[in-house]
Amino acid sequence: MTNLDSGSPLASAGASGRSYTCSWCGMASDGTALSCPACGAAVDVRSVVSRSGWAELPGRRDMAKLQFGNSYCQIEGTYVPVADMNLAANDWVYFSHHVLLWMDTQVKVSAMSLKGAWKRMLAGMPLIMTQAVGPGRIAFSRDAPGEMISLPLQPGQAVDVREHLFMVATGSVTYDWFQSNIWFTTKEGDEQETHYPLGMLLDRFQAPQYPGLLLLHASGNVFVRKLEPGQTILVKPTAFLFKDTSVRMQLHIERPAGTWRSWRSWGDRYLWIRLHGPGRVAVQSAYDKLEDNGRNIISHSGATTRQW
Amino acid sequence: MTEPQPHHDPLVRIECQWCKSQNEGTALTCRACGAPLDVKDMVSDSGWREAPRLRDMTEFQFGASACQVEGEIVPVAEINLGPGDSVFFEHHVLLWKDDSTRMSVLPMTGGVKRALAGMPFIISVAHGPGRIAFSRDATGELVVLPIHPGQELDVREHAFLVCSHTVDYTYVRIKGLRNILFGGQGMFMDRFIATQAQGILLLHGYGNVFQRNLKPGESILVEPGAFLYKDASVGMEVETIKLTSGFFGGTSMNLARMTGPGRVGIQSMYVHHTTE
Repeated sequence: MTNLDSGSPLASAGASGRSYTCSWCGMASDGTALSCPACGAAVDVRSVVSRSGWAELPGRRDMAKLQFGNSYCQIEGTYVPVADMNLAANDWVYFSHHVLLWMDTQVKVSAMSLKGAWKRMLAGMPLIMTQAVGPGRIAFSRDAPGEMISLPLQPGQAVDVREHLFMVATGSVTYDWFQSNIWFTTKEGDEQETHYPLGMLLDRFQAPQYPGLLLLHASGNVFVRKLEPGQTILVKPTAFLFKDTSVRMQLHIERPAGTWRSWRSWGDRYLWIRLHGPGRVAVQSAYDKLEDNGRNIISHSGATTRQW
Repeated sequence: MTEPQPHHDPLVRIECQWCKSQNEGTALTCRACGAPLDVKDMVSDSGWREAPRLRDMTEFQFGASACQVEGEIVPVAEINLGPGDSVFFEHHVLLWKDDSTRMSVLPMTGGVKRALAGMPFIISVAHGPGRIAFSRDATGELVVLPIHPGQELDVREHAFLVCSHTVDYTYVRIKGLRNILFGGQGMFMDRFIATQAQGILLLHGYGNVFQRNLKPGESILVEPGAFLYKDASVGMEVETIKLTSGFFGGTSMNLARMTGPGRVGIQSMYVHHTTE
């Protein structure tokens, strides 16, 4: 299994003699188009990278087009972008039905079976994925201002995504999930509660044999960073978006030394996700509030701790 | 030395691609709706036209009044009302007003029905001369829709920001129980009718706004929460698609079938509705 950050050109350059390798998805193209044909990133703008190493999602022109199979996707709008897909005959995509914005009447829609329905129901994940088969047009958007992330997946590539961020994927991308194994249990009196800061399950998308396209929607702005082998970084759990499969995760808890109970209402402890390289990690700048009742933690998944 | 000015034929007119108003050949923005005239039209291959991205501080005229659009993420419509002009609006969208801007209430029929349907019971009116400004509570776009005499426009409840007094305001009940229960627009839609004089209607759409012109008999399926406005000639019916998979899986998707002829406007950040 390879990761998204493999830098080698993934397709041959065009016959024009010019060559351009997209800094976002690594796809080589002839460089004559204004946008990368695989992910829609603008080709003539500089990458915006902070001094700390976080790269902004590459700029994307309104109405940028990206190709997948015999179909293409046009990304429209800037505040809450829309993925408008023109599906060729027999090309298909799948999605969670609440992201459907509009569709042509001739597009065939049906349910896609998912394994592990019981676990998914317990985890609050959708039980049914919806699939749409071409020919015809169908469009998707989410209900929050933010950015659309296009992740072209080459054969063998995979990516792990936090729950509820997935928007749509092409039929050549497989969908699976696994236990996040990031949890802690609190107790007060006889009441115990187990919390999953990243959610109980994480989504895994992989292109086993053929290239595919995965679209995610993030709230606010998106920033991506490549961790070197052994390098770690602490990330707010609800800001975490996706990671390469090579990146490991664990819980990290920090708190001031010698605090007493009344401080807990101030939120005296910090719960982080520690991410270990190598590989890419992505975060979103607008995130949900992390639910933490402040009660005593009696057990947790493997974690590092620190007291100030 | 002054630069030579380009020669402009006074007879040349530019048609606004959004509202179809005619503008002088030198105009940079449409005088009727504020749409930029010097930028490329944003129309997707599927035929959806993006609502024009109004330049910050764009100004346009209606009657003896002027509206300036300020800001881009959550835009503000600031109106300088001329003497004798007035606008009406739902009170929760008022941002600020001059002390001297006089207010009244629009006489409405069917108040009880509206109250039962969750529609505003009282519509406020601001009278010129004076300034008044409006905005809504979410990231989105301001959609300027000049309404020509004879035009009728149906708008999702609570999506209208402000409308000029030359436009008649009423409401239409969405027919059919299925529409009421599953349509997502609630029981009523606002209807705006320009009978004799041209008027202006400003909406606020969540996220980005797109418009498509449906041909007679042409249909499209739209997420009900994304519906923003339509010409009165466009039919709207709820269509349910059942999605079932095995023992656990079972849900249905309610979509609005919009059938032409006429315009349909949608917003990309939709109001979320639960399904069965």
